[in-house]
Amino acid sequence: MIRPESATAHETTERELARLIVDTLNLEDRPEDIRPEAPLFGEGLGLDSIDALELSLAISKAYGFELKSDEASRRVFASLRSLAAHIDTHRRK
Amino acid sequence: MPGAGPAAHAACFPLVGRAAGDILFRGPEGAFTAKDFLLAVHRLAAALPQSGHYLNLCQDRRHFAVAFAATVLRGQVSLLTSDRSEARLRRLAERFPGCCAVTEEAADLPLPQHRFALHSASPAPGGMDNPMIPAGQPAALVFTSGSTGEPVAHGKSWGALATRSAAAAERFGLAPAAPASIVGMVPPQHMYGFETTILLPLHAPVSVWCGPAFYKADVEQALAAVPGPRVLVTTPLQLRALLAAGIRISSEGIAPVERVISATAPLYRDLAGDVERAWGTSVCEIYGATEVGSIASRRTVAEEDWQVYPSVRLEPCLDGVQVLAPYAEPTGLNDEVAFAGTDRFSLLGRKTDIVKLAGKRASLAGLNRILNEIDGVQDGLFVAPDDLEERPTARLLAYVVAPERSSEDILAALRGRIDPVFLPRRVVRVDGLPRNELGKLPRQVLATLHDAAGRD
Repeated sequence: MIRPESATAHETTERELARLIVDTLNLEDRPEDIRPEAPLFGEGLGLDSIDALELSLAISKAYGFELKSDEASRRVFASLRSLAAHIDTHRRK
Repeated sequence: MPGAGPAAHAACFPLVGRAAGDILFRGPEGAFTAKDFLLAVHRLAAALPQSGHYLNLCQDRRHFAVAFAATVLRGQVSLLTSDRSEARLRRLAERFPGCCAVTEEAADLPLPQHRFALHSASPAPGGMDNPMIPAGQPAALVFTSGSTGEPVAHGKSWGALATRSAAAAERFGLAPAAPASIVGMVPPQHMYGFETTILLPLHAPVSVWCGPAFYKADVEQALAAVPGPRVLVTTPLQLRALLAAGIRISSEGIAPVERVISATAPLYRDLAGDVERAWGTSVCEIYGATEVGSIASRRTVAEEDWQVYPSVRLEPCLDGVQVLAPYAEPTGLNDEVAFAGTDRFSLLGRKTDIVKLAGKRASLAGLNRILNEIDGVQDGLFVAPDDLEERPTARLLAYVVAPERSSEDILAALRGRIDPVFLPRRVVRVDGLPRNELGKLPRQVLATLHDAAGRD
């Protein structure tokens, strides 16, 4: 189980990130409508490769680190929750 | 030989038009020479199961090129699709019975697959023989979305692909004295990516980066890892993102980029100028289409007109303009053009039914047909915003008359049936579409509908 205090920190990042996604990509969804575990691409939010690049820009501006394509990146972009966890591990802001 | 046309029986082009020691690909694991390539191609060609067609789903460009050449060596045809949706793959499997997917990692696919790795040490029966391939041999089928919503296949002969690569090399001044390193950001399954990052290294003095090159950090790493002169193959949206992200490229830097090539959407002259100044580079655009491949180029900041590639010719035909090129069927263009001399033209616009996103094209009529086939949809219409190709967040929207279905239902039904980039970002439910007596929707009426929806 995740400890309560870290769960809270992740939830804060999740909420922040949901807002960032909606604002950056100009989505119709409200941030609170993005389910943390639903896929961001394909089923779920239905983002595409243009969105991924735009989002990587916004994330590097907001959190001060850059996304890279590697084994991990597909897992990172799997859901709001996985992306938020990745951000919490790597953020410099 | 299978499929060799009557006019093409004499002409042949080698499988690899490079010397054995030439470097075709470079990646995080090092260099991959023409010799390494031929060994891998023979090994895979011998290992592939019997099949009529091979669907090349490899993502690493080196794997992709080996898989493509192995099917050419077997005298068989590769299917290329940049739409990897379940529905598209299922449709291809039905249309090409017995088709086998070639992959580098196991994937959940609706058709048989052959997975291969480059480092397996099984014997290579053909050694490193570099055979001559008849120019008329069918080598690839690429797909566009037709107006019926059904993908349309376009055949590419080996000779058409080889001669066009030579034409591109001539146009971009790619010379053996200083082999260029290409870093490409576009997928190899897309015609533009296929030509610039798979075919070019087989036929012209270039090596292609086969590691990741998607995010800014990837591109910086790739450029630093390859020797100059460097060529970045990209798209307008990617260029804009790299520039906005402050990518470290300069003519005095450690990895200067000599040339940037952009395609898939119009590149605005301001952006081309910004990139040229910021990076100390020269920005060219390629004009082409999946059916005809790359056929013309221009230096965006300096030229309005497009200059046709050597060996390619455009001529007026019954319903527009057609492209004539060696070993290729005459093929019509989807754009309206005005000729400016024998080998130059300007673009007047796109035929109005066609929309383009992420380098992919769709017919609005085809999308509308799919929308209207959904259970519970009485009437429906896709609409493209005017700035679809310029604004990174611009996507289609759809108006539907579907009293019993929610917007989410409709979106869910569309998913899997159309390419994800064309999914409407909004599904606006309306009571009725204001069609005129001919069943058409005049554009100004649509604009009213759009405004009304925007006010909700």
